[in-house]
Amino acid sequence: MRWYRFAVLVLLATVLQAGFLSNFTVKPDLLLILLVFFAVYSNTSEAIISSFTIGFAADLIGPAMGPQTISFGLFGTALAYLHQVIAIRKMPYQALVIFATGILAGTMVHLLNLLKSEPGPAEIYSDIFKAALYSGIVGPFLFLPLAWWMRIKTNRFRRNRIMR
Amino acid sequence: MAWKQGTFRTKNRRKSLLDSLSRQMLFTWLMLAGFILILAPQQWTNKFQFAFLRIFRWPLKIGNDISLASSTQQQFTDSSNQTIIQYKNHIANLEQNLEQANQKINQLSGLRNRFPMLKGAKLIPADISTVTIGGTQAELIINRGTDEGLASNQFVIADNSIVGTIAEVSNRIARVKLFTDKSSNIAVQVGKSEVKRVMQGVGNYSAKIIPDIPTTTPVKAGDQVFACKKPGLLDVPMIIGTVTQCKKNDRQPSVWDITVQPACDITKIENVTVIIMNP
Repeated sequence: MRWYRFAVLVLLATVLQAGFLSNFTVKPDLLLILLVFFAVYSNTSEAIISSFTIGFAADLIGPAMGPQTISFGLFGTALAYLHQVIAIRKMPYQALVIFATGILAGTMVHLLNLLKSEPGPAEIYSDIFKAALYSGIVGPFLFLPLAWWMRIKTNRFRRNRIMR
Repeated sequence: MAWKQGTFRTKNRRKSLLDSLSRQMLFTWLMLAGFILILAPQQWTNKFQFAFLRIFRWPLKIGNDISLASSTQQQFTDSSNQTIIQYKNHIANLEQNLEQANQKINQLSGLRNRFPMLKGAKLIPADISTVTIGGTQAELIINRGTDEGLASNQFVIADNSIVGTIAEVSNRIARVKLFTDKSSNIAVQVGKSEVKRVMQGVGNYSAKIIPDIPTTTPVKAGDQVFACKKPGLLDVPMIIGTVTQCKKNDRQPSVWDITVQPACDITKIENVTVIIMNP
């Protein structure tokens, strides 16, 4: 893993999410897309570290610190282990995985926010659904440029060749 | 040969076990860090967020400006309209203030008139560094903090109308939660009626009043909505918005479904004022 490139990418996504995309009503979650990308295209240890880092970045622009670190870390790690069993290479599968991860992580963030007494919006589940759906549609198309930036060869990741 | 292969396998198994253990340890430590972040007091963890906002304030502002320019609903076209809105809001506040004063005169039979609006309060002007008004969050980051006496829940005004309250504050910057934010709840009074209800943000530059005002109560589009008095934070009601839509609730036709929009153009405000009632 090229960690400098990773840091630049995560910072860029965080700034874009908090700046340019913040004023759109329905928007993709760039950090969620990054989470799935690194969980799918990195080895497990790297996926764990990158998931927690991306979660921390999401917390920096969120309402409270902690919920997204835990949620992204947990689901990113689960996804990295799942990828050892089920290959997620085709775009429709990637879209589905982004959507499912978005729903699960979003719900967990909401529940953890409640634990932290952070009031959530009234239509939180509809917002989570919309963001997950949008990310699922946009995400797979960003995987190729992301792989190019990270110098990752996407075709070497197959179910039976995952580095342990 | 067989002995060598056996040693090689054992080494590999050890390496794999160690690797697996280190992954588990890595995961455990990072989860622990996450739980520490969750359980730590928010005033400590906020420092990370504020530091990020301070470091990246320029790219964030540029991104905001670009997106606002592309997505803003152009309701008001020029600055003269904005001045008119300011005066209208000011007049609305004065009228409301006058009405309260008249009521008090009637009640207290000529005892000392209540003080003019915001007399004695400290008003802290602040510039806006970042605006987020789309999606679920509707908030501003302003360049004033606890050093200037700001604290959570203080009311924030712009163009003579309430726009939100202080949500979080650090030494130098503060986060203002606009009343259109989906997690915002503010007690309001609709029009000149005595009806007081909670107004909840719904995003998209608007808020809704909790639908339990019976349709027998006279409310119509164009009515002004005032933030209720809150001891220590707001001593007089102030205009917060205008009713833009008033229709019968779909689920309960006996109550109003009232949509409120800010009394000023939130997308165009460049500075705000924080009210400190008891400096």
